[in-house]
Amino acid sequence: MIKAQQKPIAEIKALIAPYHRILILGCGTCVTISFAGGEKEVGLLASSLRIASAMEGQDKIFAEATVQRQCEWEFIDAVAEQIQQADAVLSLACGIGVQALAERYPDKVVLPGVNTTFLGMAVEHGVLVERCRACGDCILGLTGGVCPIARCAKNLLNGPCGGSQNGKCEVNPELDCAWQLIYDRLARLGQLDRLAALMPYKDWSKDYDGGPRKIVREDLRL
Amino acid sequence: MSNLSDRSTLPAEPLPPCQVACPAHTDVRGYIHAIARGDFEEAYRIAREPNPLPYICGKVCAHPCETECRRGDVDEPVAICALKRFATEQHDLSKGHAPGLTVAEPKEEKVAIVGSGPGGLTAAHDLARMGYKVTVFEAYPKVGGMMQYGIPLYRLPRETIDLETAPLKDLGVEFVTNQRVTDVDALLADGYKAVFLAVGSHVGRKLRIPNADLPDVWLNTEFLRRVALGEKIDLRGRHVLVLGGGNVAIDVARTALRLGAAEVSMTCLESCTTQPAHPWEIKEAVEEGVQMFHDRTFKEIVAENGKVKGVRCVKVNFRGFLPTGAPDMDEFPETEHVLPADLVIFAIGQGPDLSFLPQDGSIAQTPRRTIQVNPVTLATTKPGVFAGGDAVTGVGFIIDAIAAGHRAARSIDAYLRGLDPASVQPPEPQKLNDLQQKTISHIRHLKREEMPMLDVNQRKFTFDEVYLGYTEAQAIRAAHRCLTCGAGARVEETKCIACLTCVRVCPYEVPLLARGTANVPVDQCQACGICATECPAKAISMKLYSDEDMIKQIRDAVRKAKYNGEPAIVGFACRYCAYAGEDANVVKASLPANVQTIDVLCTGKVDALYLLKAFEFGADGVFVAGCLEGECHNDKGNVHAAKRVAYVKGLLDELALGNARLEMFHMSPDQCANMAEVVSTLITKVKELGPSPVRRS
Amino acid sequence: MKVGSNLEKVLTSGYFAATGELGPPKSADPGVIRHKASLLKGYVDAVNITDNQTAIVRMSSISVGIMLLQLGLEPTIQMTCRDRNRLAIQSDLLGAAAHGVKNLLCLTGDHQRFGNHPTARGVYDLDSIQLIQMVKTMRDEKKFACGEEMDVEPRFFIGAAENPFADPFDYRPYRLAKKIAAGADFIQTQLIYNVPKFKEFMKRVCDLGLHEKCYILAGVGPIKSVGMARYMQTSVPGMDVPEEIVARLKGVPKDQVRKEGIKQCADIISEIREIPGVAGVHVMAIEWEEAVPEILELAGLLPRPKV
Repeated sequence: MIKAQQKPIAEIKALIAPYHRILILGCGTCVTISFAGGEKEVGLLASSLRIASAMEGQDKIFAEATVQRQCEWEFIDAVAEQIQQADAVLSLACGIGVQALAERYPDKVVLPGVNTTFLGMAVEHGVLVERCRACGDCILGLTGGVCPIARCAKNLLNGPCGGSQNGKCEVNPELDCAWQLIYDRLARLGQLDRLAALMPYKDWSKDYDGGPRKIVREDLRL
Repeated sequence: MSNLSDRSTLPAEPLPPCQVACPAHTDVRGYIHAIARGDFEEAYRIAREPNPLPYICGKVCAHPCETECRRGDVDEPVAICALKRFATEQHDLSKGHAPGLTVAEPKEEKVAIVGSGPGGLTAAHDLARMGYKVTVFEAYPKVGGMMQYGIPLYRLPRETIDLETAPLKDLGVEFVTNQRVTDVDALLADGYKAVFLAVGSHVGRKLRIPNADLPDVWLNTEFLRRVALGEKIDLRGRHVLVLGGGNVAIDVARTALRLGAAEVSMTCLESCTTQPAHPWEIKEAVEEGVQMFHDRTFKEIVAENGKVKGVRCVKVNFRGFLPTGAPDMDEFPETEHVLPADLVIFAIGQGPDLSFLPQDGSIAQTPRRTIQVNPVTLATTKPGVFAGGDAVTGVGFIIDAIAAGHRAARSIDAYLRGLDPASVQPPEPQKLNDLQQKTISHIRHLKREEMPMLDVNQRKFTFDEVYLGYTEAQAIRAAHRCLTCGAGARVEETKCIACLTCVRVCPYEVPLLARGTANVPVDQCQACGICATECPAKAISMKLYSDEDMIKQIRDAVRKAKYNGEPAIVGFACRYCAYAGEDANVVKASLPANVQTIDVLCTGKVDALYLLKAFEFGADGVFVAGCLEGECHNDKGNVHAAKRVAYVKGLLDELALGNARLEMFHMSPDQCANMAEVVSTLITKVKELGPSPVRRS
Repeated sequence: MKVGSNLEKVLTSGYFAATGELGPPKSADPGVIRHKASLLKGYVDAVNITDNQTAIVRMSSISVGIMLLQLGLEPTIQMTCRDRNRLAIQSDLLGAAAHGVKNLLCLTGDHQRFGNHPTARGVYDLDSIQLIQMVKTMRDEKKFACGEEMDVEPRFFIGAAENPFADPFDYRPYRLAKKIAAGADFIQTQLIYNVPKFKEFMKRVCDLGLHEKCYILAGVGPIKSVGMARYMQTSVPGMDVPEEIVARLKGVPKDQVRKEGIKQCADIISEIREIPGVAGVHVMAIEWEEAVPEILELAGLLPRPKV
């Protein structure tokens, strides 16, 4: 799922500074699961911002709402009235939700309250890690189910760099070296011979290097 | 986010086993929870609601609730009965026996109640509240029935009965004592539109064995009644043998002891493990010196010259009673022996005196010589006449009779309003399932509080009350053992996004994933509240409190704490630990007015939002007082609380409010008395920071 | 003979090669290059010029390589995958070749996080093995990475790096084989201080016959101080510095440490020369270039052969 982190309060305060009535709009799916923008976080942020507003002698008004998914028009429209009443919407959704709001309400100021961080999962409660870069050309079948694009700091395709030590990545010793994991997995699977094959140049055009991506399913289009 | 699911369409929730086991379905969990958090008046209110005799029940209820208590599957049952007694002792009677009790507009119809035992009193109470004119007829001089004439004084002081019956007079119930009703039809002819027969079971029985009619062969009921009526019976030097092993037999034996008997022994068919008396009654009797002879059948009262010498017994392996009423057992050959005694008291059972019923059989009897009723409505075979209690069921518990009194009152009201009495009886509640072994394995063991008692050497010579009642600290500790069954987390399925937070944080491994959402099985949840506080979707709520309630409490607390220019401090104090010591309520009351505490049962329930809200409402300082590390009632509630405090401290820094305004204290009950001192460390820091710049208009 | 560079000639003639390294300045000052070149000239078979080493911006490797050519030294330019995509790399290599650069060391590059522009975007369009492959295809097939053909191909003696001490240790010889398969003509290893472990690595390399398919130069370098030894031991990823290396430097008076470091380096070279399959040494004495002649003298590797 998409993982996100709330922005520092100082940054949010600066974003909302020009506005009086602010709707803090949470999203009930990915950002809720990543503890960044669900109904609970909306409440905590709203209370924090009310404190900030009162400390500065302002009388900003904060409304709170959470929709099931901000990345769908139909869900956003459920709070259309609250959006209309606000001077600005502080969205705690991922970048998709923020843009969906901006597109659906062209005259409304929409501000991001979180940083959309990565596609990943919780390996333990409170610990979220990146697992996918959405590169558009999955090679997990060749790498023992461990992605060197998302999990190797240098996207290496042909084995570990010289900085792999004790199974950890030199860039962040808290992270496992993806190639150590690939090596271990392939060893378990009896497929170490796969490592001998030269991996061809990656086709980055399927990633963002090919420009913004779009999927059209003509069979589904109405 | 989405509409709340419509609770009205949900099936009735299963109730805790204690509440289901209580014939009156008392909200046991409710009053124990109130005691646990120090709200004793609320506890009394809840205990009083379904029971017009809470003081009596607090002392002598047979408490079938405790047998069913699920804490018993962990270690020992919660001391429910003793806690009810504690709630009654804390109640300020000047506020009335039933504060807030409503009474309907007076009605014309008169109702007669025959018998003033718990069943009769309850029916009288309910019907009077409904507005009926109620007259209670009592054959003996005082009201109370078997409570007055059966239960020994050392278990139930008579002032307690007076205290419970007085309010009934205030409700307009008329008591006619010393009047044995002999003609039910005459009552109906006299203008009573309905009659409730609650005559109890006052006739003892003897076995037809040789010499059973000798003057020194007595009956349980008569003996206890004579003592209760104040007759001075001198048993000094006597050797008393009680035949029977039930609770009444124990009462008889212990009463005999108190009347000076030199030796008291009991004998019964049952073994020491199957004896029908409550184990604690047996234990107390034995402590006082009563001797028990189990596994015996009685063949003959041995007498010489009309003087009792003992009872000839044979050893048996008793397996229970056959449907005919005969014992199912084998006698062991050559085991015949005489248990010596010079006074024998039969205590093998008792039945109602039904001689007053109409001779024409219009009020039918059962083959067991009890009054025949419809079990749902308690209607007898005569229209307008209802019956309940021991006269219908044979000897039962007080609380059974109270339940019957309620049932009868509902039926009589329906009958008088031309409704079908069956239609007004509530359905039988559904009971929570048993705790699973996995859940049990995570529950902290807590020792049951011993009921303080008179010293055995002191008590066995007097009729002084044996049980002394809990101290406040004992009661709170005893209440903390309640698992608040069924009052736990509920998941709003439409909001749940199956993020698994609850599954991961539950210290009891209770939540499950089912059909794509989380499910917190109500029968396993321990109501610690951690999942509800951690749920990022706010999809989990708790039965006994809500964010709205808490936020309202916080707002009130901040307002009250703004006092005399001192820093306004709001604390969340754990009632399991930090705020559970001796005199916690006194400590609470003695804190300076600028320190307001909100009691919580485990700091795991303290949401990060609550801390922020306190600051939002203008608090200058906030603290959370939880248990010592490793001592949390819910294993990790205080750990979660400490983490939330740390998180909010970070926010306070980001807001430039100063993280020193918020503190987590870990305290044991012993340190409770130092609460003011502990809080003063926070006050000092807050003073250094100055008043909160958050000023609400 | 693929390219005909001095280094290639030394190696193909069977001499034990000795190469040096030159760190370009963090400025546009050509004087630094001239000075360092003067220290190394005549003592090594080729000079590696680092490419924004440790992700710190310095004068470009290719431009320094051209200066060395002008000064009469043979450069081995380095090229990392961190800062350039396949377009930029190919374009720069065409230019380098046009200027007469003949040796190229292909590297992935240190992660930008460790450098002086940690917020920069890392490119990593290719990895080092793909870079080797691309350069070989340009040289031997006269084709760009996209498959298009060219008239005049860049001819490089292709080098690659290998760290025998990184994990997974068992995989390292195979990774070396992969580099050779991709087109590496010579290998320069990470700094060797743990000689026994390197010996073990080389045994595996020889068992796979890799030493017959390319020339393996062991990386060596003098340590200036006990503090530096300790730092390399504990804080440089992929570095294996046994305790006795540190102890030897600690065992001499403080003013003798540098000298001892030089001696130690020469001793390591002598040990390494005995290991089968090792074709030479690559002496890395960054910002201490003047130590190189002394080390090689002590190791008995001077004078360098003229081939």
